[in-house]
Amino acid sequence: MAGVVLDDLTKRYDGGALAVDKLNLDVHDGEFVCLVGPSGCGKTTALRMIAGLEEITSGEVRIGDRVVNNLPPRDRDIAMVFQSYALYPHMSVRDNMAFGLQLRKTPKADIDKAVLEAARILDLERFLDRKPGQLSGGQRQRVALGRAIVREPAVFLMDEPLSNLDAKLRVQTRAEIARMHTRLQATMIYVTHDQVEAMTMGDRIAVINEGVLQQAGTPKDLYELPQNRFVAGFIGSPSMNFIDLKVTQDGGVLRLVGEGAEMRPDDTQAALLRDQGVETVTVGFRPEHLELATLSGPGLSVTVTVDVVEFLGNDELIHGSSEGRDVVAIINADNTLTVDQSVTLSSPPRRLHLFNPTTGLRIASDGLPRGDLVARRIGTS
Amino acid sequence: MSVQAASLPAATPVAAPAAKRQRRGLRPSRIVINVVLAAIAIFWLVPSIGIFIISLRPNSAFEQSGWWTVLTAPAQLTFSNYQNLFSAGFKPGGVLDSLTTSIAITVPVTILVTLISSLTAYSLVFGRWRGRTLVFLVIVALLVLPLQMALIPVASLYKVFDNATGLQLFGSVIGTIIFHVAFGLPFGIFLMRNFYSGIPHDLLEAGRIDGAGEWTLFRKVVMPIGIPALASLAIFQFIWVWNDLLVALIFLSGNPHGTLTLFLYGQTRALANNYYIISTGAMISIVIPLIVFFAFQRYFVRGVLAGAVK
Repeated sequence: MAGVVLDDLTKRYDGGALAVDKLNLDVHDGEFVCLVGPSGCGKTTALRMIAGLEEITSGEVRIGDRVVNNLPPRDRDIAMVFQSYALYPHMSVRDNMAFGLQLRKTPKADIDKAVLEAARILDLERFLDRKPGQLSGGQRQRVALGRAIVREPAVFLMDEPLSNLDAKLRVQTRAEIARMHTRLQATMIYVTHDQVEAMTMGDRIAVINEGVLQQAGTPKDLYELPQNRFVAGFIGSPSMNFIDLKVTQDGGVLRLVGEGAEMRPDDTQAALLRDQGVETVTVGFRPEHLELATLSGPGLSVTVTVDVVEFLGNDELIHGSSEGRDVVAIINADNTLTVDQSVTLSSPPRRLHLFNPTTGLRIASDGLPRGDLVARRIGTS
Repeated sequence: MSVQAASLPAATPVAAPAAKRQRRGLRPSRIVINVVLAAIAIFWLVPSIGIFIISLRPNSAFEQSGWWTVLTAPAQLTFSNYQNLFSAGFKPGGVLDSLTTSIAITVPVTILVTLISSLTAYSLVFGRWRGRTLVFLVIVALLVLPLQMALIPVASLYKVFDNATGLQLFGSVIGTIIFHVAFGLPFGIFLMRNFYSGIPHDLLEAGRIDGAGEWTLFRKVVMPIGIPALASLAIFQFIWVWNDLLVALIFLSGNPHGTLTLFLYGQTRALANNYYIISTGAMISIVIPLIVFFAFQRYFVRGVLAGAVK
């Protein structure tokens, strides 16, 4: 087992396109880290550089205490699970799993033992003599996982392994991978565009956009303390709402006002805003933190006209608009809202996120906890 | 997970098509189709059957009656034509000698063309060098070059080479092999390159991570997947070279050991009374490609890539 360190990892293609820009990440031994970001953000390129399938333009990849930049994939002590499974179609399940060990000249008895053990863990024993073409999608993905397990690599790399599975199977296989991680205690780097997958599986998540690391931290960190507007909008489902408000002073009392919305900061927020001297603030608030109530104390209140009401069972998902801005809210289904109804929604101050509208960065004092890494350059969504 | 796996009955993929086939076999429309197909097949076989029967009749009978009279008088059949041909042994220019020369040319050409085409296609598809597309385009352009146009220039080239080195390429089996390989490669590379293009790169990357080098990837991953294409290429190549007369006529001229086609050609020139030799030689000539065809045709497995990705 070993950790993985990415040090200023950069990939620039021949055409000049910058796929990954100075990525720094320290994946500890035995940790499960998810690289997450929208399509084309460079997360898969980063993973392929760790695997040795993509040349590194500059920077360094270290696995354990070795710099592996110039090592071929086979010497990096890694295993990779591909989005497309990439099973050898002409080999049986058994041979697919044994192939890597055979190439390493492992004694046959050891190979058989390792394959049987992996098949047992993944419930593939009955399918060992079948060809991949005779298996269902879920079974194929398990064979791909099995092929990685038998090698007992220092690091597992997974490139969107669940995205070809249907919703039900995806949840099952997600649990399978989580169990596999607990059992093997191996270092895993998992690429996905699905933030729900990242939130549920990762010990830590690294959010990447346009080749730049935006923030790395625990799922809770990212959810509660997003360091910039991109992370705030990317993590959480449905996405966070944003409203730009002007900072005003009213007889020594600080207020943030805009059309159809108003915010009274609490003491900490007021001090921060005074400190930074910003004139406009982007206020972010999550749909699940809105409630149907008029505030008497500090917090945000927004007047919203209901456009669509989606019944979710216990809750209702409200799509509304407030002065041309879309606002999404999740409220208790006991409140019977109707389309075109105008309502006031509010959120308490501790659930509000303040961002600088120019830089997109979180307005926070240095004393506040951030993720373990802070974005170098900010891409706003 | 186990519940999901258990819900897939093990026999499903195999049992279902078998049942379907059985149902289909009973339909009257299929019986009609089969009868028509059988009739066409027999019609197509008539010339071959005719030659086969001629080869089994004495030469004297050929001049007196048609081969179909065998159907009413099978007693006239004899192996004497074969005995006569084989009794000459490996005498230069005889049928056994020609058979040996044909095999000595066709087998190496087939092996070399499939192997070199496969390796080149691998490099063109999975290699990481610049100009791959250009090289492929040049190879495709070579496909349209008629073989007849190159006969005289290549023959002259061989002569120049022979004069310069003292070796004898022109008129030799090796010279003929080189010519056939050179003209077989463009099509071979074209076919294999197009087939390999369909192999997902993920498979090779998985192989690289599993620890395979390029040679192992070629041998253990790409070649086995390419077997249907390799089998078709091998069959095509074998039959083309086996049936070739033109190249042998020029590049083996002066060589006492000709190919089977040259042997048969020699008989046609000697007036019509050699039909018994031609038909017997033709039957011998058909047998080898048939063996090759039946040996390789089982590799025409469709959908070999099923289950590799997605």
